[in-house]
Amino acid sequence: MPISRRTLAAAAALCLALPLSACGSGGDGGGSTDASGKVEGDITFQTWNLRANFKDYFEGVIADFEKKYPDTHVKWVDQPAEGYADKISADAAGGTLPDVVNVSPDLVAPLAKAGLALDLDKAAAKYKKEYLAGAWASHRIPGMTGTYAFPWYLNTGPLFYNKSLFKKAGLDPETPPKTYDDLFADALELAEKSDGKVATLANVPTIEDFGRYGVELMNKQGTAFTFNDAKGVQMLAKYKELYDAKALDPQALTATPESSGRKFLTEAVAMNPGSALDLGNFKKQAPNLYKNIGITDQITSTGHVNMYVMGVMVNSKTRHTPAAVAFAHFVTDAEHQMSFAKKVAIFPSTAGSLDDPYFTKEDGTDETRVRIAAAKSLKNAVNYTPVLFSEQMKTALRNEVAKALQGKESPKAALDNAVKQCNTLLQQQG
Amino acid sequence: MALSTAPRAQRVRRQLPFSPWLFAAPGLLVTGVFILYPFVSTLVNSLTDRRTLIPGKFVGLANFRELLHDDMFWIGLRNSTLYVLGVVPALVVLPLLLALLVQKNIPGITFFRSAFYTPVVASIVVVGLIWVWLLDERGLINSLLESVGVGRVGFLSDQWLLLLSAMAVTVWKGLGYYMIIYLAALANVPRELHEAAAVDGAGAVRRFLTVTVPAVRSTMVLVGALSSVAAFKVFSEVYLMAGPSGGPAGEDTTLVMLVQRTGTGLTGRVGYASAISVVVFVVTVALMLLVLRADRRDET
Repeated sequence: MPISRRTLAAAAALCLALPLSACGSGGDGGGSTDASGKVEGDITFQTWNLRANFKDYFEGVIADFEKKYPDTHVKWVDQPAEGYADKISADAAGGTLPDVVNVSPDLVAPLAKAGLALDLDKAAAKYKKEYLAGAWASHRIPGMTGTYAFPWYLNTGPLFYNKSLFKKAGLDPETPPKTYDDLFADALELAEKSDGKVATLANVPTIEDFGRYGVELMNKQGTAFTFNDAKGVQMLAKYKELYDAKALDPQALTATPESSGRKFLTEAVAMNPGSALDLGNFKKQAPNLYKNIGITDQITSTGHVNMYVMGVMVNSKTRHTPAAVAFAHFVTDAEHQMSFAKKVAIFPSTAGSLDDPYFTKEDGTDETRVRIAAAKSLKNAVNYTPVLFSEQMKTALRNEVAKALQGKESPKAALDNAVKQCNTLLQQQG
Repeated sequence: MALSTAPRAQRVRRQLPFSPWLFAAPGLLVTGVFILYPFVSTLVNSLTDRRTLIPGKFVGLANFRELLHDDMFWIGLRNSTLYVLGVVPALVVLPLLLALLVQKNIPGITFFRSAFYTPVVASIVVVGLIWVWLLDERGLINSLLESVGVGRVGFLSDQWLLLLSAMAVTVWKGLGYYMIIYLAALANVPRELHEAAAVDGAGAVRRFLTVTVPAVRSTMVLVGALSSVAAFKVFSEVYLMAGPSGGPAGEDTTLVMLVQRTGTGLTGRVGYASAISVVVFVVTVALMLLVLRADRRDET
């Protein structure tokens, strides 16, 4: 029986189309904003690089939730830190975004704009009062109404410094710089005394640095960036001075958090931001540095340190809205945030939790001293990272800053260009 | 029932028109799903303003027009082209010389062949990180340079040195791979030709130029074509050594890095990144044609 070419072509097209048909959005079902029904069903919870260190904790939380709501089953998936945004974007585009997702405000913004994040002002308004007002507001998106994630843990991230290098440069190791003016003065002195061999910083300024310097990052409406004002230019000019004096590491223009961490470990730079987890790393990999480690608050000229906020978002396409909302709230309620904070140096975003004696009472150890200081600074901390500041915008700013530091552009021209590019990208985001 | 009683040869003949397609189906399916569909999808996307989470609408050639005014695109095109110009001659000539060295059957030569091939099987990420440590301002190479009085060299902070360093890593990593290809070609060069040339008084260099090179010319063209396509599409080496931002002020960005940076993430511009991908495709095909054409011209 001969087979016509047309039949063959149709069969081939079908063969091609069949597997592809499985790649559709898949997110048609669900989507209810009503969280008041019965808490039941199978949901998936995705965390951001937490399994390695907190497996038992999360398994315990899930077991407690399933015990409280016997008709539910929570599947926990954890994704590595590297490429987390790409993983979420692939899932979101493919319609396979988990029901409950660990996010940061800048990740929530595009998901909310695409209608994939549940508006908690509507679906979970009753829980709002349980959280610090500032933390709840951190997942609001300029230009949109609503709040798109439960606030989870907060952090300020300490600034580590090498006391030995400070001492060698004739600086008092017990009084590290607090403001940017102090930092610039100390950095220049350190570079001069070490003949340009020891830099103070390993990274170029980021948008958060501009914020902590007191630069207005966006206009009031959140519709345009404004960090090219006189203050922004002044700060960049100062960084240029540091770069020329080698007070800013020569490789800062291509630095990554990993490479600058390595420079701090090898005592090539005197100061580096980090997290409490780094202390263990210093102890193991650089015992000499660990003996001389100093811990201080982030540099700020506004009196407010930068606050990093983690959130837990509910997928608006979930088929089990009540269970997903209940679980997202369960993970982030005061009791669980407090128990999580006792496992790792993070801080709860729930109202009143920071007044717990755990965050206020000294016990003579360095660890507690750092914790109390951080909790205190968190009370008036600001999340300086604009929610709408995308990866592409970070690259645009970084490249223009690099041009200014190399002297290819004036600080004013560089910031004007950065603002122009960021505003174009902002408009393209819609 | 008719089939079962039919002669065997007739049964086979009856299935003939369909059978080849059946055998080819798995391959066609894989090609269709993983090559053809993404290719067509990229072409279609390049004509839209699609974003990661927003389907986008048809914008015609707007993305291509935008490319013409995008400084970063021209930087990417410049760097990818420089990469081809820097890497391809080295990868055509050096592995041939290396193959000539290890071709001789002398005791212990297997060790050298394996040693030269080792970088090929090593993970590019591991290799990249090792070279970053070596070339760091306080790395081994700079320490050596400092100890001999040259002073520190900013291999990883100067845009041109960074690109050159990445090229060096690509060449170092690719030597073994192309050496194996040349070894296979050299095995087919008749020994008598060398002997005859030697009898005629040709020295080693003369024999290399008049016997070896013409004999492996088609392999050289193949290596040239393969390495030029790979060099134009370079990503890993530059990404690992220059960082995600593409070196100081993004000056070391290559076209494929630009595709990655522009098109990924939650706010990725899929349409624009697809337009850059189309340009990469066109240039790559043009490069292949250029090399093959040069080969044909040489033959005539």
